[in-house]
Amino acid sequence: MLLRLNIADNRPLHEQVAGAIRRAIAEGECGPGDRLPPARELSLALGVNANTVLRGLRALRDEGLLEFRRGRGVTVAGGADGRSALLERVRELVADGARRGYGKAELIRMIEEAQ
Amino acid sequence: MSERGGRGELRETRAPRGWATWGTTAWAAGILALLVAAPLSVRGAYGDRLATHWGASGEPDGSLPPWAAAVAPAAVWAVLVVAAVCWRAARRWRAAVLASGGVLLAGAQVSIARANLHHADWRDADPVSVGAVVTLFAAAVAGCVAWRVSRRPAAASASRGRGARMEIPEGERRVWLSRTANPWLGLVAAATGAVAVAAPLVGTGAPTASMWLLIVPFAVASAAVLVCSSVRVRVGGRGVDVAFGPLGWPVRRWDAADVEWARAERRTPAQVGGWGYRLSGLGTTVMLRAGECLVIRARGKEFAVSVDDAERGAALLNSLAGARAERP
Repeated sequence: MLLRLNIADNRPLHEQVAGAIRRAIAEGECGPGDRLPPARELSLALGVNANTVLRGLRALRDEGLLEFRRGRGVTVAGGADGRSALLERVRELVADGARRGYGKAELIRMIEEAQ
Repeated sequence: MSERGGRGELRETRAPRGWATWGTTAWAAGILALLVAAPLSVRGAYGDRLATHWGASGEPDGSLPPWAAAVAPAAVWAVLVVAAVCWRAARRWRAAVLASGGVLLAGAQVSIARANLHHADWRDADPVSVGAVVTLFAAAVAGCVAWRVSRRPAAASASRGRGARMEIPEGERRVWLSRTANPWLGLVAAATGAVAVAAPLVGTGAPTASMWLLIVPFAVASAAVLVCSSVRVRVGGRGVDVAFGPLGWPVRRWDAADVEWARAERRTPAQVGGWGYRLSGLGTTVMLRAGECLVIRARGKEFAVSVDDAERGAALLNSLAGARAERP
């Protein structure tokens, strides 16, 4: 799998790591059920502390994109590919809204009004 | 593109084919003639059997009729020649094997014939220790010389970062990871490991010397197969890492600056001489399954490892190597 880490933006590193994996899932680099490389491997590859990688992975687990299983490591959750792509767009929307002066609450209201 | 480049290179290394073929044929025929002629020339004049085996004390302790003494080494030689010529994977070692094997067999045969000269009974044959030592030494020298002479000239060093590249946008860091495992090799490792563990459990009391002869080779074999049963490849900022086995150890590492080029190529176990860590005419290959391999040329040597998605890994490595080389 190919991971793209965006080092230009100034988000925290663990979010960048999560973003790289989210993007990899969205683009089909690893499909549902696939096993992710171990955190140590990812940390060496990305040049990022292992704890930072783990923090990013936990965030993705909380989003429902990854599953942590004892003995099997970290796997991509079922249906994660579609969800990951959508989540990435939602993040862009939130960032775009913040830039234009719209808070999350207002965005939510817009979404509710949207048909 | 990469495939075509690979074949072109292979063809290039086989160019001086004519004289090599003639030389091999002449050498094979000459040694064969010597192997047959030496014992037959002693025949009749001095007895109907020839001493062909000597004990540790230098006394002959085995004999053969002259025809058998001629046929046996000739048959060994014929098998060796056929194997060396037909087995493509042994191409690089062909000259060395044929030179040292020919000298070894011819030397042994001449020593035997010489020891039997002037003796009516094979039990009176002279010792052959001097001949054996000289023969072994000459065979080793011949093998080394042939290997050095036949070693293919280093392929013209291509420009760095040659081959397909990947465009990396500014402000982005890219990492390519791939993993291959061969469950059959894992099974073999488990089976050999089970023998090593079971041996002391089955026998009662402390392990005896004969038991160690069972435990040690099986344990070593199990560890060796286990290390080659899975492989992880990582292409990233510093270069490329290839980690073996479930523990990710040992690791082979190349700095991006040392990599001349990388490409994807299809290889099969038959081409490289089997599964696992293979050395062949194609360089080093870590063969876990037939199919796509990532081939790296670094420090003048080729290294290949069978992993999926090798094309993108090679492209990323090429762009990393190119970026390193272009940097002032």
